[in-house]
Amino acid sequence: MKKISPFQAVMHRRATTMEKYLTVIIIVYVAVVSIKNPLFFTAETAFDMVRSGSGTMLLALGVLLVLVSGGIDVSFPAVAVVSAYLAILTVDRTGIDSLWLALAVSIAIGILLGAFNALLIHFLKLPTLIVTLGTGSVFHGLMAVVFGTDDFTTGEMPQSLLDFGNASLMTVTDAATGQRYSLTIFLPIVILAIVGVWFLLNRTMLGRSIYAIGSNEESASRLGVSLLRTKLFIYTFVGGMAGLMGIILFSELKNANPTATLIGSELMVIAAVVIGGAKLTGGEGTVLGTILGVVTIQLFQQTLVLLGLSTLWSQVFFGSVLLFSLAVMYRRQRLADRRNLVFTAA
Amino acid sequence: MSDPILVAENLSLSFGEVRALDGVDVTIEAGEIRCLAGENGSGKSTFVKIVSGVYVPSQGTVTVGGAPLTHHDPREAISAGVQVIYQDLSLFDHLSVAENIAINVMLHEGTRYVRRSRMHAIAREQLERMGVELPLDEPVGSLSMANKQLVAIARALSMDAKVLFMDEPTTAITTKEVDRLLTIVQDLKARGLSIVFISHKLDEVFEIADTITIFRDGRKVGDFPASELDNDSLSFHMTGREVLHKPYEREPRDDDGASTPLLQITNLTKEPHYRDVSLEVRPGDVVGLTGLLGAGRTELALSLFGLNRPESGTVTVQGSKVDIREPWDAIDLGIALVPENRALQGLFSSTSIGKNISSTRLDALLTKLRLVDGKAERELAHRTVHEAGVNNKNIDALVGNLSGGNAQKVVIGKWMATEPTVFILDSPTVGIDIGSKAEIYDRIHELARSGKGVILISDEPDEILVNCNKVLVMHEGDVIARYDDADRKAPDFKERLAKVISDPQSVRAAHQGAA
Repeated sequence: MKKISPFQAVMHRRATTMEKYLTVIIIVYVAVVSIKNPLFFTAETAFDMVRSGSGTMLLALGVLLVLVSGGIDVSFPAVAVVSAYLAILTVDRTGIDSLWLALAVSIAIGILLGAFNALLIHFLKLPTLIVTLGTGSVFHGLMAVVFGTDDFTTGEMPQSLLDFGNASLMTVTDAATGQRYSLTIFLPIVILAIVGVWFLLNRTMLGRSIYAIGSNEESASRLGVSLLRTKLFIYTFVGGMAGLMGIILFSELKNANPTATLIGSELMVIAAVVIGGAKLTGGEGTVLGTILGVVTIQLFQQTLVLLGLSTLWSQVFFGSVLLFSLAVMYRRQRLADRRNLVFTAA
Repeated sequence: MSDPILVAENLSLSFGEVRALDGVDVTIEAGEIRCLAGENGSGKSTFVKIVSGVYVPSQGTVTVGGAPLTHHDPREAISAGVQVIYQDLSLFDHLSVAENIAINVMLHEGTRYVRRSRMHAIAREQLERMGVELPLDEPVGSLSMANKQLVAIARALSMDAKVLFMDEPTTAITTKEVDRLLTIVQDLKARGLSIVFISHKLDEVFEIADTITIFRDGRKVGDFPASELDNDSLSFHMTGREVLHKPYEREPRDDDGASTPLLQITNLTKEPHYRDVSLEVRPGDVVGLTGLLGAGRTELALSLFGLNRPESGTVTVQGSKVDIREPWDAIDLGIALVPENRALQGLFSSTSIGKNISSTRLDALLTKLRLVDGKAERELAHRTVHEAGVNNKNIDALVGNLSGGNAQKVVIGKWMATEPTVFILDSPTVGIDIGSKAEIYDRIHELARSGKGVILISDEPDEILVNCNKVLVMHEGDVIARYDDADRKAPDFKERLAKVISDPQSVRAAHQGAA
């Protein structure tokens, strides 16, 4: 009998190399921080991480789909801002102060912009990076041209969104200081999205077609996988996720700026998914790896202060982990290739 | 006799001016093994693409199982029972074996939700039908070429195939694996499935084929019983002319007695690839290196080119002992290598013919400012395409668009440009049409006559016979037989060589008996 780990029994697969690496890195880091600073294991730290990581997690799930299919999308920060700003504008102009309306409008616009990306990618046959770099720039630029710096300040924000940003599942009061910490309502949304994407990627034919396309697009189309339909789904999904994330972002910030610069955040999100084991060449990537990647980023961003380091160090830490773990992984592959006298780049 | 499974009548198709297929009739019976043979561009691939619904014929009909194909799209052909396994196998390296096999059925059933148990059931059923066992949860990317092929066959069978086309199925797998494949094919035939091989060389698949259909210039030359064809008659029908390879004769040289060899290898060892290999290349020698896949020939060649450092033994080039650690050491010593895998290791596919040719000679093309001299580069490229006989003389054309034969001429040409003293060619004519083959042989002979040395690695006894004046046979890393010019001229040499290659144990047993 072959030995099967509990992980294998549940997931029907072995943990990937990157999942193992990240788990070790996270455990070591958490151990170091909690020894150095007992404040680490508090509700405050945990709740803060959930709050600030929710948006990143949603975007990362969308990006995971794109990377698995062998593409890349850098337009989602622009899509998030455009969708959410227009949604808030709609709420403001119609006077219907409803969170549901804002969410529906924002997600719908996200889907529309995503479909625009998918059609350009499919029919122009351009590299996905070029298309999304272009559309992202256009979306962002149009916002600046049309709305300038006409932002919604906290006073002008719809009340329903402010409530959404403050809503909490539970509140913990620090006995010593009397300060209250709340666990954001974003958490169940994120968990729902994680479960949904896991189910989609692993249990539906659509999800498997995304892996098939990322593995070998030509072969997939020979078997009758519709490239247009699958790509439409992938990019509208990222668009929808970005729309949802935009509302969460503005609700949390308590203001909405039409030219809010999320620029730079797209590379951070892509990096989180890549460090989780997704390959830019497609066909690989797991939901678990993506979660671990996002947790790693969040740990560095939120808890370096507990070590007495400024948050500016988080990028240095994250970049180093990214380079180190991928270098180790690729080097192992290269050595194995060399031993087997394979001289072609993977 | 039951009705034929596939009838193609009067099929024609043109691409612009080129008549790719011209009034071809082919009938394939149920439970038949057929071979389609022809050179590159003879129309055999076009024929397969029409039958499988990829191309729409400009004229003619295809009938599968009594019903004519009307839409000419792949789905129609697949549901009629036509399956094609392309040379690249069209598998998904990142997906599991089970998923690769089951994906076809699941897609065509319109499955929405994937269950692992169902996937496994589909895969297991097909593999059991073929009588093979494969690890269902492993990613296909980790399998050997032969096992990948079995996965592709299992997937094709899962769609209720009536006729299965296989494009060059034996080029990338070992003899043992070929045997297993042929057993499976025989078995499928016994169950009424028709199998059509597409090939352009006389090999194992011909032996089990019932009939061979030969194509030339878009037309069908005819259907021949496999037993009536041999290498010469096949070549004749494929090319339309008598192709005679004049055997290479090494002429005695004045300096034969005195000269040091160009290359001498003594007791060279690299476990587990090869051990105790000794050989000598003198001016004018073409040394043949042959043996089954896994013999260690390619590994030895890579060692001589600085890509697989030997553990012990010596290499001497023109009298001085050398340590070849990197390819540029080899190039400096005048050693050139035409690698086994032309597309991946021999060429920069997405650059021009000219840039490919100059890539080995950039050091010699520098101006005083150490910049590449564009004019000299183009001159070199022009000269080389003419000398090498590449059909496309436009040096700005992409190498990736050339046919196999012409691409190989570019590889050989670019190394000839370095004026090597020892030229190693690893399986230089695999997948190359007969015409180009003859030209490559001529170049090898020419080089040897000019006093250089050549090492030719090849699977084919015929190729060894017409090109080499010395032969080494390797098996699992050992040199098991050596032949000199006198042996070669013996009338039964080809049979002896073929026997040693295909049955190395006999020689080993004889050796042990003598020792």
